[in-house]
Amino acid sequence: MTLKQFIFRTALLLGLIVLTPALVLAQTTATAGATTGTSVTTSAPTANFTAAETKAKTRGDNEIDRRITALTDLNTRVQAMQKVTDTFKQSLSATVTSEISALTALKAKIDADTDAATLKTDLQSITASYRIFALVLPQGRIAAAADREVTLVSMMPTLGAKLQARVQTASQGGANVTALTAALTDMASKLQDAQTQAEAAVSGSASLTPDNGNATQMASNTAALKAARADIKTAQTDLVAARKDITTIVAGLKTLGTSTTASSTAQ
Amino acid sequence: MAKWIIGIIVVIIIGAGLWYSGVLGTFMTPPASPQTTTTTTPANNQQAAAQPENGMSANNDASDAAITQDTAAIDAQMQGLNSDSANVDSSLNDQSVQ
Repeated sequence: MTLKQFIFRTALLLGLIVLTPALVLAQTTATAGATTGTSVTTSAPTANFTAAETKAKTRGDNEIDRRITALTDLNTRVQAMQKVTDTFKQSLSATVTSEISALTALKAKIDADTDAATLKTDLQSITASYRIFALVLPQGRIAAAADREVTLVSMMPTLGAKLQARVQTASQGGANVTALTAALTDMASKLQDAQTQAEAAVSGSASLTPDNGNATQMASNTAALKAARADIKTAQTDLVAARKDITTIVAGLKTLGTSTTASSTAQ
Repeated sequence: MAKWIIGIIVVIIIGAGLWYSGVLGTFMTPPASPQTTTTTTPANNQQAAAQPENGMSANNDASDAAITQDTAAIDAQMQGLNSDSANVDSSLNDQSVQ
């Protein structure tokens, strides 16, 4: 090997060493680009649905969106519940979240469907899943309403104690407080009943399970949910009456002229 | 004499280096007082426990202003209940559009 040949071969070898990583990198980039291109191509549905099928698909998507929105709102409301145990709240939230996940997955599947038969099956499962939604949503909303009622039941006696203190002061001053005392008594009675009704609403609906197509259980669930709604309504009526009692007492105290600007004990 | 000066300069340089790197700072920073933490936490808890819920006034305040505040807080919850109750109705009357 001459010196000239040695220099040429060495230069060639060095050139290859330097260029090889660049070639590998270029190949990797090209491969990655090709992979991305392939995935884009395969993810786009290529089926030719009829107009009716496309319409049904859109309707299905809209129905799923409607349910997801309602369940998401419910989950937000569940997080704000104040009077239930953390375990109850977590359990309710987990059920709602699970239903949202199932619906989201179903929607993604429907959107990716490429043949009419699969689309039809998936659209039918929207109707089947409605039985779960139709139970979970009212269950959660009944629990939320009952929680609000119990919150009010805990707030009103605090004000009631203050009003009672003011009524007592007026009585000691020689004022006739018969009507105000009656309103206080009625308020306490209404709050007691509201508490009972709210608890009944939750205990009558919280343990219901999806009917899975069983007509008897479906009828039973519907009856239980309606009874719970009636309990919520009764408790609400009680609370409205208690609120009116507050108005009566406050107005009566004003009439008696027992206005107080400074703090006073109402324990 | 020259040796002493060089020695002092070396010590100064080492000291400056340690100060600059923050090593001395760790020894000089006073440790956090556990007493402060202990006394602050219960005070905060007491304050949280004393705070009335949902916009109500203090439990021992029966003034006109407090009663007005409590009434407003109750009315806000009553409005929330109207909304909750309407939501129960709509969920029971709901129909699948499929």
